[in-house]
Amino acid sequence: MKDTKLLIIDDEVEFAATLRQRLELRGIDATDVHSGGEGLQTLAEIGPDIVILDLKMPDMAGLDVLAEIKKHNPAIEVIMLTGHGSTASGIEAMEKGAFDYVMKPVDLNILLEKIYSADEKRSKE
Amino acid sequence: MSKILRSPAEIIESRSDPDEGYKHFSRGLTGILMTLVLVPLIILSILMHHQYKQLLQSKELDQLILNLELAQSTIEKFVAELQSVIKFVAPHNQYQQFLDPRELEALFVRLKGEYPGFADIEIIDSLGMQKSYYGPYQLEGHNYTDQTWYKEVILHGAYISTIFSGFRDVNHFVIAVRVENPEQKSDWVLRVTIDEKTLQNFVDTTSTSYSYADDIYLIDSFGIAQTEPRKYGTIGEECLLCNIQGTANKSLAKAIADRDTKGMEIVEKAFKGQQVLHATAELANTPWRLVLVKEQYLFAHAWVLFKIKLITIFLCCTIVAVIVILQISSAITSHIRESDNKQKKILAEIQHTNKLASIGRLAAGVAHEINNPLAIINQKAGLVQDFIEISGGCEHQKSMEDALDGIQNSVERCKTVTHRLLGFARHTEVKTDEIDINVLVREVIDFLAQEASYNQIRIDFDLDQNISTIFSDRGQLQQVFLNITNNAIDAIGKNGHITMSSRQVDQETIQIGITDNGPGIPPEVKQRIFDPFFTTKETGKGTGLGLSISYGLVKKLGGNINVISEVDKGTQFEITLPVTQPQQDLETNERHETVNN
Repeated sequence: MKDTKLLIIDDEVEFAATLRQRLELRGIDATDVHSGGEGLQTLAEIGPDIVILDLKMPDMAGLDVLAEIKKHNPAIEVIMLTGHGSTASGIEAMEKGAFDYVMKPVDLNILLEKIYSADEKRSKE
Repeated sequence: MSKILRSPAEIIESRSDPDEGYKHFSRGLTGILMTLVLVPLIILSILMHHQYKQLLQSKELDQLILNLELAQSTIEKFVAELQSVIKFVAPHNQYQQFLDPRELEALFVRLKGEYPGFADIEIIDSLGMQKSYYGPYQLEGHNYTDQTWYKEVILHGAYISTIFSGFRDVNHFVIAVRVENPEQKSDWVLRVTIDEKTLQNFVDTTSTSYSYADDIYLIDSFGIAQTEPRKYGTIGEECLLCNIQGTANKSLAKAIADRDTKGMEIVEKAFKGQQVLHATAELANTPWRLVLVKEQYLFAHAWVLFKIKLITIFLCCTIVAVIVILQISSAITSHIRESDNKQKKILAEIQHTNKLASIGRLAAGVAHEINNPLAIINQKAGLVQDFIEISGGCEHQKSMEDALDGIQNSVERCKTVTHRLLGFARHTEVKTDEIDINVLVREVIDFLAQEASYNQIRIDFDLDQNISTIFSDRGQLQQVFLNITNNAIDAIGKNGHITMSSRQVDQETIQIGITDNGPGIPPEVKQRIFDPFFTTKETGKGTGLGLSISYGLVKKLGGNINVISEVDKGTQFEITLPVTQPQQDLETNERHETVNN
C-alpha cells in the first residue's frame, strides 16, 4: 500500500478531510477533494490508484464521475460511498465498473478491507 | 330527484348517526315508490268505481223506462178495452130497449160475467136525467144535468172519473160513454160504475209482471192515490212521495237527457234516508198517472259484490306493493350501504398508502441528509480514538474512550434508524419465485429459534402439508414473517408460545397465521399498529417501522394483513397471500422502479 495513491471525492468537506486524516494515520497516501469536477481535475494531476467516490454530489452525480474516471483510466479502482442505505444503488454502481460500495456512515475497518482488496486486485493486474 | 330524495351520504353529513341516515334514505325511497305505485292504483280504482256505477245506473234507468213504458201501455190498453166494451154493448138504436129495467139487467149481467167488478149501470137521456138504473143501490131518478162529468161526456163522447166513494160509500170509478142516436137526433149516455178493486187487481197483476219496481200505483192530477200503494201511501189519500222534491243528481239527469222519456218524469227522491227512483207517466185518455218506485239499485247485489271485489283487489295489490317496495327499498339501501362501506375501506386504504408514501418520501429525505453528518460524527470520533491511541495515553483516557464508544454506539443506533427509514421508502423490485410457504416459515423461525429459546418461548407449527406453492418475493416475505414473529417474541417477553400456521383459503389464496399468547393489543393501539413510527417498545428498542414496512410489503405482494387480538389472551396475525402475483402489481412495481432510477 506504500505506493498506492488514494483520492477521496466527497462534497462533505469535514467527512472527506477526517477520512483522509484517518487513512493517513494508517499509512495510506490519501488526498481529498470536494466536488466531482475537482475530482476529475485532480485525477490527472496525482494519478490515483484507488478512488473513494460519493454517489451524490451537487455538481456531478457520482455515477457520471465514475464513468469519466473509467474513461480516463480503467485501471483505477473506485469504491462508492452511498448514503441511500440500500444495496441497490451500490450494486448499480458496481455494474457500471465500481470495485465495491460502502454505506454511510462508514465503518473504517470495513472500508479498509475494501481498500486492501482493491489494491490487491490492482497489484495482480 | 336529488331534491326529493337526498342520498344517504348527504343525509349522513347532516346527522351524526350513519344508521339513522340509511334508515332515513330507506324511508324516503319507500315513500316515493309507494306514491308511484299507490297513486295510480287509487286513481284506477276510483275510476273503475265511477265507471261501473255509471254503467249500473244506466242499465237501471233503461230497465226502469222499459218497465214504465210497458206498464203504461198495458194499463192504457186495459182502460181502453173497458171503454170499448161499454161502447160495444150500447148500440144507438137500443135506447128504448134499455129503458126497460129487465133489458138493462140482462145487459148488466152479461157485462158482470165478463167484468165482475162492475157495480151498477144506468141510462141517462140527452137532458141529463137518469132514465133507467140497475144496481144494488137505490139511485134512481138522479138529474146529472149540471154535473161536470156529464158535461164532459156530452162534450168529448167519453168520460173516466177518478176514484171516489160518492153515494155508494165504496171506492169506485165511473166510465160514461155518449151514444149517438141519429134516428131520434138526441144522444144518450151509458154510465157504468166500476169497483176500484177491478183497477187495483189489474195494477197488482201488472206490478207482478213488471216486478222490477218496488211499488206501482196510480195517482190523479192532485197526487191522490188511485190504487193502493204497497208502501208509499193509502188509496184516496195523497201519496207519500208526491210532495217530496227530487234530489239533484247530475249523472242521472244526464242519463235521462240522453234517453227518449217523452211524457215521463224520472227523479231521484230521498225517502226515510233511502234514495228511490220515482218515475211517473201519463195514462192517455184517463185522469191518472202511473207511478213506478224503485227503492234500491236493481244490481244492488252485483254492486256490493263489485265493491267487495274492488276493495279486495285494491287491498291485495296494496299489500303486495308494500311488501315488494319494502323489500326493494331495503335491498337498495343495503347495496348502497355495502358500496359506501367498500368505498370507505378503499379510501381508508388509499389514505393509508398515501400517508405511508408521503412519510416514506419525507423520511428518506431526512435519513439521507442525516447520514452525512452522522458519517462526519463517526469519522471525527474515530479520528479522536486514533489520536488517543497514537498519543500513548493521557489522564482521562478511559473516560474519553468510554465517551467515544458512546458516540459510536449512538451513531450506530442512528444508522439503524436511517437505514430502516430508507428501506421503508424504497420501491424495490418484486422478484417472483415459486415458494413453498411451509419451508419459508421454517427458515424464518430458524433465525429466531435461539432468541426464542433464551426467553423460554416455544414455537409450534400447524402447517397444511397440502398447501399450494405460491409465486411471490421470497426476501420480502421473509422480512414480513421476521418482523411479525420478532414482535411476538418481544410481546411475550418470557415463557409463552407462538404457533405458526398455514392453510389453503381457496384455489387462489393461502393464509399464514402467527399466533402468540402474549398480553394482546388494546383496541386503541390496534388501530395504529400499522402507522409508521408507532411503537409501544421502550425508546431505542423499536423504530415503529417494522409492522408498517410489513404492511406495505404484503399489500405490494397483493395480500392482506388482518389482526385479531384480545387483551391478556394473545394476538393472531393473519397474512393472506395470492397464489400467483397479480400481473398489474408486477407492472406497477416495474414502473416505479424505472421512475425511481
